[in-house]
Amino acid sequence: MDRTPSQTVGPFFHEALRWRDGHRVAFAESGADVVLVGRMLDGAGQPVGDALVETWQRSPTGEPPASGKSGNPSGFARVETRKDGTFRIETRMPGGPAPHLDVTIVARGLLKPLRTRVYLAPEAAVRADPAMKPLAESPRLQTLIARAEGDAYHWEVRLQGDGETVFFSA
Amino acid sequence: MNDLSQRPDVDPPYDYPEYGSTRHRAPREELLKLPAGTLDAAGPLVPRGFVRDGDNDLTIHGKSKPLGEKMVLAGRLLDESGRPIRDSLVEIWQANASGRYDHPGDTHDAPLDPNFKGIGRTFTDDDGWYRFVTIRPGAYPWANHAFAWRPQHIHFSLLGNAPVQRLITQMYFPGDPLLDFDPVYQSVPDEAARKRMICMLQLDTGIEGVALGYRFDIVLAGARSTPLGI
Repeated sequence: MDRTPSQTVGPFFHEALRWRDGHRVAFAESGADVVLVGRMLDGAGQPVGDALVETWQRSPTGEPPASGKSGNPSGFARVETRKDGTFRIETRMPGGPAPHLDVTIVARGLLKPLRTRVYLAPEAAVRADPAMKPLAESPRLQTLIARAEGDAYHWEVRLQGDGETVFFSA
Repeated sequence: MNDLSQRPDVDPPYDYPEYGSTRHRAPREELLKLPAGTLDAAGPLVPRGFVRDGDNDLTIHGKSKPLGEKMVLAGRLLDESGRPIRDSLVEIWQANASGRYDHPGDTHDAPLDPNFKGIGRTFTDDDGWYRFVTIRPGAYPWANHAFAWRPQHIHFSLLGNAPVQRLITQMYFPGDPLLDFDPVYQSVPDEAARKRMICMLQLDTGIEGVALGYRFDIVLAGARSTPLGI
């Protein structure tokens, strides 16, 4: 059968797709708490204030997350960007040699989702990740690595132009 | 089975000048191909308690009934090999009968309906079926170009059962003359693919004497993904 095409999420999704505590990732497993603070900019350098960001990750033990019987799905975050383009996700450090969150971005002006990834890991570990082999020599790999500063990881997403974030095909 | 990814892309391009908002948001760099299977692992699994009874009926949450043409919207969620996608979250949102969203960003000078929020969610059943009761949404103007009006549509968000299946789309109505002029609809390059976003009038899906019936099946990517129940 042939797939149903993608269409933009448009500007009016907020209440429909808003989940209680969507920014706080649920886990059955315990682990180290981490905060990801992101900021999204468009090709004109303006904040993207009307996007939806979803992240999906491994559990702190490196397993696929097991969901409970109620509440939000484990390992999954859904947050809206604020007017200034920022978003904040409270989660636990994913397991594995190169811990990362897989990220999906939808917004007005995006006819299909943008897929990317943010690593909460030192650059050497990221360069060693086999999935990043095509970028091993590229300075653009930096766009996928969050900066640990204070009590949070900071990550800037640029949709277009100078410093454009690396996006993936599905 | 990897040849599924070699099929012509049914999705719109990122860069589509007729839809003005793509201008500063479409990436310019080439996309990186992830190793096959990276997005195929099952999840997220949404707990059953996430949806409450009545969340799939958009017409019962006010003090009285909403204005407009009542309709039942039902269909199946399938993967590319035609297998049902079970226990999967379906979220919808839409304008009211006069073409106004209950959203602070909607400045269209049409009335809100105090009895209609325009938001619904449900899970698919064991055969991939979902069902909503709602109101046919109105068309509305937008600022994309002169005399621009969006055709009547209902927004759908599907999680599927694996990240590769994630889909956000819009469902349109048969025979809507605005489809010919709508850059969002027209952004899908293939005509047959565009038509897969149009629901079908199916009277006996409705409620006799109460609501019209429409059928809308949705096909998500990834025949290899195992449709996991919860």
